[in-house]
Parts: sequence; C-alpha cells; structure tokens
Amino acid sequence: MSLNEVWEAASAAPFHPVVSKDGQFAVGFNLLLVAVVLTGLFGLNRSFGNLLTLGVPASLAFGFGAVFMICAVGVYV
Amino acid sequence: MRFFTATVLGLLVPSLATASNLTTPYQIAVPADFKPPQVFRNTNLVRNTNLEKGYVRETINVVVENIDKQPQSQYYIPFSSEVFDRVGGFEVRDKKAPEKGRFQVEVTEPSSGNQYFVVHLSEPLAPKAQVTLGISYSILAALSPLPATIKQNDQQFLTYTFSAYTPSAYQTVTQKTKLKFPNANVPDYTSTAGLKSGADPERKGATYTYGPYDTAKVTPGTEYPITVRYEFTNPVIAVTRLERDIEVSHWGGNLATEERYWLRNNGSKLANHFSRVEWTFANYQKAPSSAVRELAYPLQPGSVDPYFIDDIGNVSTSRYRPGNGKTAANLELKPRYPIFGGWNYSFKVGWNSDLSRFLRKGAGADSHILKVPFLQGPKMSEGVQYEHVVVRVILPEGAKHVRFETVEGLNSNGLPGSNQIHASLSGFKTYMDTLGRTTLTLEVDSLTDEARDAQLVVTYEHSLTDALRKPLTIIAGVITLFVATWAIGNIDTSIKKR
Repeated sequence: MSLNEVWEAASAAPFHPVVSKDGQFAVGFNLLLVAVVLTGLFGLNRSFGNLLTLGVPASLAFGFGAVFMICAVGVYV
Repeated sequence: MRFFTATVLGLLVPSLATASNLTTPYQIAVPADFKPPQVFRNTNLVRNTNLEKGYVRETINVVVENIDKQPQSQYYIPFSSEVFDRVGGFEVRDKKAPEKGRFQVEVTEPSSGNQYFVVHLSEPLAPKAQVTLGISYSILAALSPLPATIKQNDQQFLTYTFSAYTPSAYQTVTQKTKLKFPNANVPDYTSTAGLKSGADPERKGATYTYGPYDTAKVTPGTEYPITVRYEFTNPVIAVTRLERDIEVSHWGGNLATEERYWLRNNGSKLANHFSRVEWTFANYQKAPSSAVRELAYPLQPGSVDPYFIDDIGNVSTSRYRPGNGKTAANLELKPRYPIFGGWNYSFKVGWNSDLSRFLRKGAGADSHILKVPFLQGPKMSEGVQYEHVVVRVILPEGAKHVRFETVEGLNSNGLPGSNQIHASLSGFKTYMDTLGRTTLTLEVDSLTDEARDAQLVVTYEHSLTDALRKPLTIIAGVITLFVATWAIGNIDTSIKKR
C-alpha cells in the first residue's frame, strides 16, 4: 500500500489541534494569569502544603500556558 | 527530587528516529570503454523539443524492438557527461500504458565521455517484441544568449545547439525532431544538407521539424550539430539554490512554510549602465523585457501571514491577494530592483496554513500522515529552473518511523525517480525544544517548475508522551523553582544561641 493510499484512506480523520488557532491566546493568557495568581498566593505562605496545593497547579498552568501563548504570538512550536 | 530528576532524564532520552525508506543517489560502476549491448533497435523515434521556457524540455517517443534472441529489460539512454548533471526530472513510461507509472531508472558512472540512464522495463521484452517508450526530461542551462550583451530595451535572443540525430545507444531506423519556439522570430537556424530530400527543417509558424531521417545505416552516437537562434525577450530565471522548510506544529495546529531563494537571470547582460528613466518608460508601456520585473507566486487556499524579506529587510513592493478560503491566494512579489541578465537576487518568502488541511491521523493511535507540495515557487510563463533544491520537512519533536513518498500520477510530476532523491534524517533545535525536532531533508538537483504540482507524503509516529514533552519540561523547571523557593525559605538564618 503506497503512502498516498494511506493518506486517501485516512480522509475521514483530519488532524485537529487541542486548541484551535483562534482560541490559543485566550487559553494561553488565562492559564498564565492563573499561574501568576497562584504563584503570588504561594509567595504569601511558603509552606510544604502550599507547595503541593498552589505550586504544582501553578507549574501546570504555566507549562501549558507558555506553550499556547508562544503559539498565539506566531511562534508555532 | 528523585521524581523530578527521573522526569527530566526521561524527557531527555533521545528518541530513535528510524526511517525505513531513506535513499541516497548512487551510480552504477561501468568499465571505462563501456558500450551498451546492442540488443535493441529503435524502429521509430520522434523527439519534441520545447523551447518556450527558459530551459529545454524534451519528450522522446520511441518504438523499441528487441533484436536479441533473449528477453531483454535494460534499455540505456546516453547523455554526454557535460550535459548529464543538468538533466532534470528524467522519467520513462510505457507510452501505451502511462497509468502503470514510471519505469525504475538508474544512472551509470561516466565512461568514454558518456553517462547513461539505465531504464529497467517492468517486464522483459521478448525477442522481436516492441514497446513504445515515452521519455521526458529537462535540460538546464542549455540555452545561451547571443549577443551576450544587449541594451536595456533590446530584444533578447537565445541559442540552442543539439544534434539532428537524437543521441541513442542503439541503431535508429527513422527519426525526426520537432522544435517548438516561443514565437516565429527565429533569425538563424542550421539548414541540413544531404540528410533528406526536400527542405530541412520544415517550418510552420513557431514549429520547426528536422527530419524524418532514414538513419538505419548511421552508427549510433553519430552527431550532426544544429544550432538555432530565436527571440526570447523574457528573463531566463535560474534559482541556483532553493531551501524550502515545511514546519509542522501539532500544538499550534499550523503548517509554516519558508522558502529561501538564490535567484539569477541567465539572460543577456546589460551593455550599458542601468537607466532608471528608460526602465520607468518601458514599465509604463508594459514592454517585454529581459529583466525579472515581478514574480507571481500562487499559494494554496487558506494561506495566511505571508512575508517577503531580502538581505536588507522587509520588501514592501509586494501585494498579497488572499483567496476566499477555497480559491488560491496570490502573492505578487516585486523584487527590490529589476533583475537583468547576470544579476542576482536572494530573498525569502514564508506563510502559514492550517495544519488540518495537510495532516491526517492514521490507523494506528500514534500514526500521522502529512501531504504537502514538494515544490511551490513562482509560476511564470517563461519558466523557472532550479539547480539545487533542499526540502526540509520539520516534524514535531519526538516523531519517529518517518517514511516518505513522492506522489506519482498519470503524467510526469517533474521529479526524478525516488532513488535519485537524497534523503536524510537529522535533528533541528528551535524554540522550546529539548531533543530537537525530527527533520527529513530531501535534496534534488536540476529541477524545473514542471515539479510545481508534485506532492510529497510523509508518515510518522508521534505519541502523547512526545506531545507532552514541551509542557512537561517547562512544568518540571517551574516546580524545581517552587521547591527551591520553599527549601531556601526554610533555611534558618537567624542569629541566636545554638
């Protein structure tokens, strides 16, 4: 089976990104905002409990937020 | 901490980007005095030479008969060693069954001034049986301007020299050559004497026919030089090098294309200095010119964010006419200065497209199929020749099991056979990369804009772990920062009795 036939066979399954191009800025900005707010809250009380309840969610939000934001500004990673 | 170390190390383990169909061009070794075995005879040969563009496009239809006692499958096609490297998009098909696709073609090393394309017929030809071969190729840089220098608004003339007898490794019974000029203004051409009865060439408008000749007694390899000189007041656009990057972004849902051109006009050089006043007048009258004035660059529907940059910076003398999503978009590039004969211009153009038009999910959970144009480039009536083309398909980080294929249709796609394309895999590091992106590099010599419609299919595997590598790396870094802040904050630095 040639690769072109594989392409034709997959016509019903076009690739769609997790967040469409139009939504990247909103998603990225909000995630980064959440990360900043959570980081600020962690800064008020740097306890081990807060590291888990605020630090980890802030890191997750920053990680995904950074990826969507860089895509939103035109650097498609 | 052990978790973070394990995560970071896990992300940094290089993936084995294996591909099973990478190709490297090779040449078959032959003895220095190699002569192909005389097992075939060309019963009838018609060569069509098209000179309408800035390169030579030839199609040869030849009826081949096996005159040996054994079935034969290897048909040799000779070119002189100087021309061989400039032969592009070489393709041979069975003229009566073009849907069966091209025959496999290999090339030999130079021997006694010649180099051969070896055509492997799909089925051996039985003794006394015949097959009609359709051979098509382009020859780059075969046209030379005469006079070599002209004034700015003068007409330009090109010369082309070839042999009245089509170079063949085998005896040819009858043959003729049809030349198609861009117009009927052909001031000089060789008239043959003694090759056939009657006028040779026969002229009909812009078409000149040399032959038919009865060459049953002419030794293969005999030459009868013919030179034609015709008007071609158009630029002879040659791209000495084209680098084309196609970058796939799964996160962004984007296909970014960037092309870097090193362009040259191979036409007549200017006899005097460039006059801007004359140029403005000629432009106003829309007079034909040997200079590149504008490059029309059709883009696929849905292309957005185009840019046109040269060594100085953004070139504002360009227009972009976006399509309505279904019709093709058009990029009209006006170089910073007109490109006259012998002048160079290097620039880059780029644009974005939605990835969903070009990428599909395969049968396996991780498999992806990408289908992109192999070559796009300007669409000019005078044609564009590419001396060296490098196409880089930059796949997402962690993509593996990369395979590629150029799509073959009923007609020639302008590309050489896949065994003449140099393919390699490498890494490419850019923003937010830890391992570097898997990059498939395809290199081809001697292409023309006949390859504009050629399509490239690439399949690869890319898992969820590969996709999450970017955010997870950032997350690991930020968590490390939080832990460090917490740990450092817990260090008791107060001054007190211990």
